[in-house]
Amino acid sequence: MEAVEWLLAGAVAGVIGAGAAAFVAHRWRMAQATAHWRALTKTHDEALEQALERERLAVASKEEGGESNDEALAELTARLTQAEQDLEVARKSEAAVLEAKGLWQGEAERIAAEAARLRGLAATFERWHEQMTSLMTQNQDMHAKNHELSSIVRHVLIVSLNASIEAARAGTAGRGFGIVASEVRALATRSEELSKSYRDSLHRNDVTTTATFQDIQAGGKMIAASLSSVESLAQQLHSRLH
Amino acid sequence: MISAHARDSFERILTKAARTRLPRTPDASCDIVRLNVRQPGSAAMDTDVDLVARHANVVVLTISSIDFRMLLVLHFDEDDVTTRYFVGDDQDKPFREVFLEISNLCCGAINQELLGHFPDLGMSTPYVLSAHCVPHLMQLKPNHLASWDITLDGSVRLAATLCVCAHAPLDFNAELSETQDSSGELELF
Repeated sequence: MEAVEWLLAGAVAGVIGAGAAAFVAHRWRMAQATAHWRALTKTHDEALEQALERERLAVASKEEGGESNDEALAELTARLTQAEQDLEVARKSEAAVLEAKGLWQGEAERIAAEAARLRGLAATFERWHEQMTSLMTQNQDMHAKNHELSSIVRHVLIVSLNASIEAARAGTAGRGFGIVASEVRALATRSEELSKSYRDSLHRNDVTTTATFQDIQAGGKMIAASLSSVESLAQQLHSRLH
Repeated sequence: MISAHARDSFERILTKAARTRLPRTPDASCDIVRLNVRQPGSAAMDTDVDLVARHANVVVLTISSIDFRMLLVLHFDEDDVTTRYFVGDDQDKPFREVFLEISNLCCGAINQELLGHFPDLGMSTPYVLSAHCVPHLMQLKPNHLASWDITLDGSVRLAATLCVCAHAPLDFNAELSETQDSSGELELF
């Protein structure tokens, strides 16, 4: 009996020991689990705290960014308004420039047309040249007539000389005839001088006429060349404005 | 009215044009000698030349500008030597026509040189006058008058007179190249 009691007591003691050991083990494991849970909770709290901080920072940053965006938007709006105003001014300026360009084009066209029209002056210069030729022909005709007159006067001079000789031969009877012959010779001499003077005048007239009309002709060419130059410049200006 | 430089330039331009345009070929001889011309109404020197007595006719050409006009007067005779020199074998062409063409080329060369100094220039067509007209050039009141004796091939005798009438002070200095250019040959009449 004693053995059985002992055995029972041992068994009870064993059960109690095992129970105690199991309790201790359970308590230790519980303690470990609690510690682990606490650590996890702490970690979680920390993470949550960090997340909250980040969120707070993000919200603050967002608020700050929102303000900055508002400022930028206001600035951009102001710039846009300015740009629109500038564009309007530029459009007006462009319109004014286009209007002025149109006017200049018109002016350049008018100058070119005027220069082209004035080149018709060449016909006027040509007419003057023809008149000069006509005048010079008349001068030559007068030269020829004066030459003829001169030869007649020379002939009269010889005739009057012969008459004087014949009058001298006739003696007293030819005295009156001698006086007439002498008068005729004097008149012929004066006519010869007049003819020489007239020839001189005709030569002077030739120089004046030729020099004047050549000056007109050359001046006309000079004007025509200058007008061509003006016309060309006006056309170049017109092409550039186009 | 006309500066010494301008006078010298006109003379050099004329003598160069005569030397390059009047001879029949570029290498033909051309002697140009300055003449003292007897002027009507002035005291005559023994060395003075009476150009009216030396040549029968003249060709007159004018170059006009805004400030001046210049007359080129080429004195010539229609003798056999001169006619043969200029007409050559081409007997179909009248001497006057050939000589007027050559005179025009000569004046065209002067015009071309002057264009470098005066932008507005015009040239007349040539006209033949009696040499008796030459003394009357004085009535144009020239500011510069000069003459040269020109001998081509040692036998053909010509003369040239330059008459410049200025309406404003004239001053320029022409720098001429010695080479013969072909400019001025398109001056037709």
